[in-house]
Amino acid sequence: MTVHKSPLRARAEADLAGLKLRHPAVFRAPLGARLMTAAIATFATALAVYTLWRFGFSPLKFVEGLGKLGTVVVLMVPPDPGNQFWNYVVALGETLAIAFLGTLGAALLALPVSLLAAKNVIANRIIHFSSRRFLDTIRGVDTLIWALIWINVVGLGPFAGILAVLTSDFGAFGKLFSEAIEAADKKPVEGVVSAGGSDLHGFRFGVLPQVMPVLLSQILYYFESNVRSATIIGIVGAGGIGLYLANEIAQAEWPGVAFLILMILGTVAAIDWISGKVRLAIIGTRGRVA
Amino acid sequence: MLRLEGVVKNFGDKCAVDRVSLVVPAGQMVGVIGRSGAGKSTLLRMINRLNDPSKGSIWFDDVDVTALRGRPLREWRARCAMIFQQFNLAGRLDVLTNVLMGRLGYVGTVRAMFKLWSEEDRSIALSALDQFDMAGLAAQRADTLSGGQQQRVAIARALVQEPSIVLADEPIASLDPRNTKVVMDALLRINRHFGITVICNLHSLDTARNYCDRLVGMAQGRVVFDDVPHALTDNLARELYGLDAGEVMDTAGTALPVPKDGVRPSMAVA
Ligand SMILES: Nc1ncnc2c1ncn2[C@@H]1O[C@H](COP(=O)(O)OP(=O)(O)O)[C@@H](O)[C@H]1O
Ligand SMILES: [Mg+2]
Repeated sequence: MTVHKSPLRARAEADLAGLKLRHPAVFRAPLGARLMTAAIATFATALAVYTLWRFGFSPLKFVEGLGKLGTVVVLMVPPDPGNQFWNYVVALGETLAIAFLGTLGAALLALPVSLLAAKNVIANRIIHFSSRRFLDTIRGVDTLIWALIWINVVGLGPFAGILAVLTSDFGAFGKLFSEAIEAADKKPVEGVVSAGGSDLHGFRFGVLPQVMPVLLSQILYYFESNVRSATIIGIVGAGGIGLYLANEIAQAEWPGVAFLILMILGTVAAIDWISGKVRLAIIGTRGRVA
Repeated sequence: MLRLEGVVKNFGDKCAVDRVSLVVPAGQMVGVIGRSGAGKSTLLRMINRLNDPSKGSIWFDDVDVTALRGRPLREWRARCAMIFQQFNLAGRLDVLTNVLMGRLGYVGTVRAMFKLWSEEDRSIALSALDQFDMAGLAAQRADTLSGGQQQRVAIARALVQEPSIVLADEPIASLDPRNTKVVMDALLRINRHFGITVICNLHSLDTARNYCDRLVGMAQGRVVFDDVPHALTDNLARELYGLDAGEVMDTAGTALPVPKDGVRPSMAVA
């Protein structure tokens, strides 16, 4: 196939030497950048090899372990709750409740704080900055760590779980909400204020209708992911189905473990599906968010 | 009567409005003209107090508007309704709620938060919409309307504020010619029918000449012309607009025949 020679290409080819002379930087091989790439790749490989060696990773152990994993999987069949079925169901309900209450509480507490953290609501630099950092700090601590902290404060059980989900998501929501509020169009707010409305009115009628679909969709998304987190924090004693899971694993009750895992997977899948539908309905089929 | 005394507005070291003094008697329809960047929007926004003047004062009858804070400031804003080029409606809310925003100055905060509008407020809002044949759209979401319809919703919102003054900042700049006429007629109707003072920033000189009792020309923040429309000769207009002159005058070269107190075509609706 012959390439069609456009006038531009002909010109470029004819002037190649001149172009190189006038714009040497464009043609020069970026040696520095290439060396940098090579150095980063070498460093990353070295780091990986070193850490694997430090942790005593050996392929042999891994292969042996695979065999054991196969045995466990065989022992899991058929999944069987034994006489614990209703206990499992109640615990699963508790996990869902932890996720629900934690997410809801986090959202309710985060909304007022997110106003403080939004540049277009609070013009005060210091309030804005300190509330941002405050939210970032809380957000930087994982749910599991919050669970361990709250267990020490309020004791074992679902209450600690709710508080754990609430605290970690409070930080995340505060940040997400304040960003959504900052992105909102300020013209409707000006319309409300110019007509004699207060700042609160401006927020209620100018900002909230714009951001509500985004906020609801974020809350639902976090609820989904909190169902998973609530399972995990149960393992350390913060209530819910995770406790049963930890027990059954410790006692090597593999059919029970398998049954629990299937219950959790089914529930998570169902919630993902439902909340996906709801989020779509909230945001609207036209995909309009603003 | 609205009185501006030596009003100045600086943005950083940029002087947007420079020592403007004006007296606007009640019931006048004033057009503020001038090229883009002349300070027209800033002037109107200071009257509504969306911007605060850097110097000078604004008086309405015996009230120093520039000194108002809190509740009295909100009451003043309710009395001087503002109409924007981009309508500034809450697009996701229905038309009626948008019009009811004009009642916020008269409704308790808690009632407003939960949209517990009284029957009286609802009926005021509906009849304002009805003025512009829009009552049928009351339940529709504002962002589903055309630009001309949205601007009429904004005018209805202004009307339910039961204002003494309506400030309109380039209300037709985002509209096509047909809607331009509809919206300008609506403003004229507010002025003639309800006796409300209208101060209207306009980019188009012809529109300003056709609709206003008085033109105020601004350039670089200063008032450089203030008279009845037919006193604005084409030469003055060319000076005012500079290079933009051709764009704002359809009839370059010939003076428009402007009847002083005669019937204007657009007044038939009033
Ligand atoms: N919020 C603001 N911050 C800084 N400069 C502004 C602001 N608003 C207006 N200006 C400046 O003030 C001048 C007048 O603007 P404006 O009142 O919008 O003019 P007009 O409405 O006549 O086009 C312009 O130079 C503009 O850039
Ligand atoms: Mg302007």
